[in-house]
Amino acid sequence: MTEEVLQDGKEIKRQIKVDPKELIMKIVFIIAAVVFIAAVVTICVFIFVQAVPALKEIGLFNFLFSSEWDPDVEGTGGGSYGIATMIVGSIYITAGALIVGVPIGFLTAVFMARYCPRPLYKVMKPMTNILAGIPSIVYGYFGVRVIVPFIRDTFGGYGYSILSASLVLGIMILPTIISVSENAIRAVPKSYYEGALALGATKERAIFRTEVPAAKSGIVTSIILGLGRVIGETMAVVMLCGNQTEFPDSILDGVRTMTANIVLELGYAEGLHRGALIATAAVLFVFILIITLLVSLIRKKAK
Amino acid sequence: MKKVLLAILSLVMACGIGIAAVGCADNTSSDATGTIIVVSREDGSGTRSAFIELTGIETDEDGDRTISSAMITNSTNMVLTTVADAVNAIGYVSMGSLNDQVKALSVDGVAATADNVLAGTYKLARPFNIAYKTGTTNEIRDDFIKYIYSDQGQAIVTQENYIAIPEGDDQRTGSYTSPGNLSGSITVGGSSSVSPLMEKLIEAYEALNSGVTINLQTSDSTAGMSGAAEGTFDIGMASRDLRETELANLTGMAIAQDGIAVVVNPSNSLSDIEMTMICNIYIGQVTTWEQVKGESAE
Repeated sequence: MTEEVLQDGKEIKRQIKVDPKELIMKIVFIIAAVVFIAAVVTICVFIFVQAVPALKEIGLFNFLFSSEWDPDVEGTGGGSYGIATMIVGSIYITAGALIVGVPIGFLTAVFMARYCPRPLYKVMKPMTNILAGIPSIVYGYFGVRVIVPFIRDTFGGYGYSILSASLVLGIMILPTIISVSENAIRAVPKSYYEGALALGATKERAIFRTEVPAAKSGIVTSIILGLGRVIGETMAVVMLCGNQTEFPDSILDGVRTMTANIVLELGYAEGLHRGALIATAAVLFVFILIITLLVSLIRKKAK
Repeated sequence: MKKVLLAILSLVMACGIGIAAVGCADNTSSDATGTIIVVSREDGSGTRSAFIELTGIETDEDGDRTISSAMITNSTNMVLTTVADAVNAIGYVSMGSLNDQVKALSVDGVAATADNVLAGTYKLARPFNIAYKTGTTNEIRDDFIKYIYSDQGQAIVTQENYIAIPEGDDQRTGSYTSPGNLSGSITVGGSSSVSPLMEKLIEAYEALNSGVTINLQTSDSTAGMSGAAEGTFDIGMASRDLRETELANLTGMAIAQDGIAVVVNPSNSLSDIEMTMICNIYIGQVTTWEQVKGESAE
């Protein structure tokens, strides 16, 4: 490679050696990026190619806004495919889980970053890691045996409800929110805190008025990661939400989420039914896309 | 400060343990009252398919009339767990899967037992079918099917509380002896109702044929049949009659009969239910236990 360098007003040409190691690593990085992009594109194409014919047959409006889900299992023709109840179900459970998980997670993160005594921190940190590693089926089973009977005995109803699912999913996203938020708060330079104290602020004021706003971006990210996990969660939800295809009247009623619908029926679905389930996945996909866009918009505005 | 923290923490933990303990405790004290918790299975389930057909929940004109507020679970075990936990619940499971955490109701005065199914008096009964792709051959598969119909295989069926193919039936293959030279593996998949029985059959068969491995995959009847047709499963399992569309490229056969038991929580005082009442509960015309018990008492 040649490079033109101006030296003492004169143009001279100099050879620059490229380290072969550097070249190899560059290729490795490019390959990694290409594989990642290829994976994302393949999944998108796969979902949409399969979903579009089904959506055409059902009609997009019908599919999104009809509450009638009555798949044609016997293969006799007919059947109606409307996922309005499931969209509502997904939204309710996601909102519920965030209402449970975000305040607890955020406050725990503040506690762990700024208040926690050393010995306690040594216990709490591994605890959040353990919580993060528990498989969702275990959360589901815990919900079925503990949360559901508790809700049923305390508030009545089926027990398998929006409330139960929200509680369990709220617990499930705690580790994500705690560890990402905690890191964000810890990353704020010490001088912010010290400066606030020097100006006469109390410890609480210094943390919540200077450090937390400075760590806002990281905290929002933690919430988005939690949200992504809730909306995509399948195994625990299908065990807890009751899976009725009805609009709920209260948080003690059951609902079916989009993910639950897919996992319940994909095993045996054929033809249009299978297409409708893939289309459900496509809707879910669009949902996540919208959320991601919204967040980046909010962040831009905040800056 | 630290002491206060410690106190708060231990309080929280105590609360958590308390909730867990309450959740795990048996609620066997009070009788079922109020709204019925209707527990059903997913659309592809063979148990559901047989149940709605036998009880009249499914009609030719209206199809499956199960109310949409019925809770949907995706396995036999989830039905059992739900009914065992909830005093107000009603569900239905394969008779062979019954355990002592739930109570099986007698239907129209006939107890849910294998003898009554065999005698034909217990009406909620259906066949357990297996099927393979028509025109294919597989040495291990054929030998395994031969084993299922042998005296040893059918003895397991009886032992597991299902109803065996009667002795003297054409399908029975008599006493089984292992050919001794088989090796390889096959995959069996489908209905979660047939699965517990199949597991026992496979266990016994593998003990006799050490070179053979049989993989068992559990999902539901419809998945079992489509898997067998596609070649994913060498043998598919279904807990209902095969549909005409499925029989187009599958050879099916019944390996046992099974009753469907209507189950309630053990603390429910109800012990007998009419077929029409089952239907009314599942289509949403009867919604409280008072209605059920009132009519039963009359």
